[in-house]
Amino acid sequence: MSCLKQSNLRGFACEQSCLTRSDGSATFNQGETTVLAAVYGPVEVKLSKEHVEKAAVDVIYKPKVGIPGCKEKATEQLIKSTCETVLLVALHPRTAVVIVLQEMQNTGSLLSCCINACCQALMDAGINMRCLVCAVTTTVDQEGHIILDPTSKQEEDGKAVLTFAFDSKTNGVIMTTTSGIYSSQEYQECLLSAQHASAKIFEFYRDSILKKLSRVS
Amino acid sequence: MADVFKKVEPAEYYRRHLTHDARPDGRQLLAFRDVVVSVGTIGTADGSALVRLGGGGTTVVCGVKAELASPRPDTPARGYVVPNVELPALCAATLRPGPPTALAQTLSQAMADLIENSGCVDAGALCVSPGRLVWALHVDAVCLAHNGNLADACAAAVVAALRDTTLPAITIDDETGRVRVDSGRERAPVAASAFPVAASFAKFDNDILFADPTAEEEALATATVTVATLEDGSLCLLHKAGGSAMTEKELQQCVDRAQVRGAELRHLVNKVAASKEC
Amino acid sequence: MKDHPLSNCEEKFVLAAIAENRRFDGRGVYIYRPIVILYGHDRGCCHVQIGCTRVLAQVSCEVIIPKQTRPNEGVLHMNVELSPMACPSFEAGKQSDYGVEVNRALERLLRDSLCIDLESLCIMSGEKVWQIRVDVHVLNHDGNLIDCSSIAAIAALSHFRRPDVTVSGEEVTIHPLDEKDAVPLSVNHIPLSVTFAFFDQGRTLLVDPTDQEERVMDGKMVVGINKHRELCMLHVSGKMLVLQDQVVRCVNIAAARVGEITDLIKDTLEKDNAARKSGKEFGFAKCLADVILGVDDLLKHYVDSMSVDTTSVGQTAKTVVDADGNRVQMEVDNAETGNVSIKVPGTGKMSTNTEGGAVTWCEGEESDSDVILLDKNDSTSSEVSSKQVSAVVELSDSEEESVLMTSQDLERTELSKSRAIETRENRGGRCRGKSFGGRNRGKRGRGNGQRYF
Repeated sequence: MSCLKQSNLRGFACEQSCLTRSDGSATFNQGETTVLAAVYGPVEVKLSKEHVEKAAVDVIYKPKVGIPGCKEKATEQLIKSTCETVLLVALHPRTAVVIVLQEMQNTGSLLSCCINACCQALMDAGINMRCLVCAVTTTVDQEGHIILDPTSKQEEDGKAVLTFAFDSKTNGVIMTTTSGIYSSQEYQECLLSAQHASAKIFEFYRDSILKKLSRVS
Repeated sequence: MADVFKKVEPAEYYRRHLTHDARPDGRQLLAFRDVVVSVGTIGTADGSALVRLGGGGTTVVCGVKAELASPRPDTPARGYVVPNVELPALCAATLRPGPPTALAQTLSQAMADLIENSGCVDAGALCVSPGRLVWALHVDAVCLAHNGNLADACAAAVVAALRDTTLPAITIDDETGRVRVDSGRERAPVAASAFPVAASFAKFDNDILFADPTAEEEALATATVTVATLEDGSLCLLHKAGGSAMTEKELQQCVDRAQVRGAELRHLVNKVAASKEC
Repeated sequence: MKDHPLSNCEEKFVLAAIAENRRFDGRGVYIYRPIVILYGHDRGCCHVQIGCTRVLAQVSCEVIIPKQTRPNEGVLHMNVELSPMACPSFEAGKQSDYGVEVNRALERLLRDSLCIDLESLCIMSGEKVWQIRVDVHVLNHDGNLIDCSSIAAIAALSHFRRPDVTVSGEEVTIHPLDEKDAVPLSVNHIPLSVTFAFFDQGRTLLVDPTDQEERVMDGKMVVGINKHRELCMLHVSGKMLVLQDQVVRCVNIAAARVGEITDLIKDTLEKDNAARKSGKEFGFAKCLADVILGVDDLLKHYVDSMSVDTTSVGQTAKTVVDADGNRVQMEVDNAETGNVSIKVPGTGKMSTNTEGGAVTWCEGEESDSDVILLDKNDSTSSEVSSKQVSAVVELSDSEEESVLMTSQDLERTELSKSRAIETRENRGGRCRGKSFGGRNRGKRGRGNGQRYF
């Protein structure tokens, strides 16, 4: 039976309202992986993308180097469907919520950092959400041990990389995506470890918001 | 009357059927549609397959063309596979002609991930001359009809086509450096032993799990999960993009059902491939 | 998305203030906002802030075939992206006129001034050269994008290290970074741009305009110059006429400013190199949080590495996986006996005990069962129902309009149910771990958990 090799999350840092033009923005650091997220919303929407009953969520992910391709499109769709689940889109029909993500540094666990930055930016923008979302990346190394919040080297050396996103109310899995080959047992272990880790991340969100609003009477 | 009700209240229409423990097309909740697989359909391609789910259901045809090319700079001794999924306007009423939609691009990326993660094509075996010449496989999947569950159909078509692909032997003249295709010798198959099979599930009303959703069911679904399994029971893809939350037990049920489906589909494709040879 | 337009009274107010040589942030007319330069974890990654304007630059390299006309030279490629996060009016993917202007200005400043020695990028003449690609991302737009981008680009180029290459005869080996130390680019000089905003037909000049000042200015002049007072680029745009002595005046001011900024770049580069050598922390993670100016501390939050308690994970996972494990294994083994029929060599069909439009594709004839189970194509079912509406069954006693299921529909579901029962019996040997009972449902309660056969 495989066991956990590294059950430490790297140090987290976040900064909210770092940009002046967008409705909400946040920089999220997981160790040395940094992602900057900006949110505009609800704003006017192009007629082709307009939904009569809900807000249209649009995600733009910009990698640091090169022109965005199919891979970035797939990441955008993933983050878009995750955000559509947590936002109360029915409250803002015929509008759009635009989320722009910029990769600033990537030393592993990039997708989960993107989703965490997204959630913080949405909180900063104050758009109605039904729950919070946080994401955790795990890796299964060649011996079958689980590593939480892996670095790029650990991701490359491992045999599988699995990312999970959880909601804050039920702690259920909103999003999961994997690459590599792994067994059912390894998958479940990664899922449960990530679930435990998500509790810490939600605590971090809570503390950062408490700090931000501490001066407001 | 029923179809008026279906148009006006599609979700309620489904719920009424569920009280009688069936889906409108009569399937059980975790049952998959009938599958027809045909390999070697395209004579001009190096490998091809056609997959059809259910009568009047999702149809995907896939062709593989091999090309000799210079290797990518960071992998001089490996060939590569370039998958491309096309959703032309004819396959569904909601699609328009034009540049590839986000859905098509996501599917192309999903196929690329599936091929790479499962190792169903041995990239090292595609190398002809390290650093100079490798095989590049262009895998083009075209959807002819879209009635839900494109992921499964595309994956099945792509993998079946790759298993059907054979490459001619290549000789390189050492002195002149000329490349010659040896049509006399037997063609070598391309696929490795791994045979991934994808199975998709949809969740309805945050509660009920369906397997192999049709297009209507996909529109009503609150979440979709795709699981790809290999022969030895390991997983190579588990993809859930947003939607209502699922517990680990529910995900495990999907995995279990996908394992069984994988075994069934592998049995079918192997039998079809064997029938073609004799 | 549309940006906030500037109101007329705002415009008049700004112009009136500038006429008195007053700026909103209290700066002098020839003074820059505070400039902050940070380097990232990767080599060649630089983040520059001028006041609230933020720009990120990343340099990368690739081996390519050189141009036919210049077989001995490498290629420097500049790409400026105006990200939608910088300003709502910027669109992703499409380059607007302003984007083209910034791009061209930067190209002329860096590429045409030959600040990087392109011949040193040659590996094998005519066959392999390095392509140095600079991606500049504008993160926040508060005026003066060209200056900010130029500082970011040249600082990133000076920060970047490319892999070392050895050429022996026809063999070219590119050494990975852990084998041999990376080599810096040969930077000949550091050209920087200084933007001047013109007001009142050139009578008032401002250096480093903010976004508000840019919106009301008559035009702008961008002077590209290096520390040694060598002019690299001159760009004038807007609706104004520029006099000769104004140009000379601007160039002199620019030379002074550029000297200061060049010293700042060199200073920060040295500090970053020292930090990397001595093993101290470097990169955005802590720097960004510490150094951002004019922002409340309350908006930043930091937590050290946290440990997660995962002692029970292995056991719980095993329970979940094994819950249905035996049944699954049995079914997988039985899958080999599934009904596969091969009608034609190369084509096979698998029916999995399910209804729902049986596939008639392989078979030539149509079976009777297909007629009843025909899918709910609107046209056919309405046709059929109009012929055969005999008994009508009321389904629910709700206040809403009752659902009428014709006997035909009922028959259909009866048939499917009986088939379901049939197949369940057929499967004799397999154990159905969980079976769904309870057709009796008083309320339409969802219950707890899964329903499935």
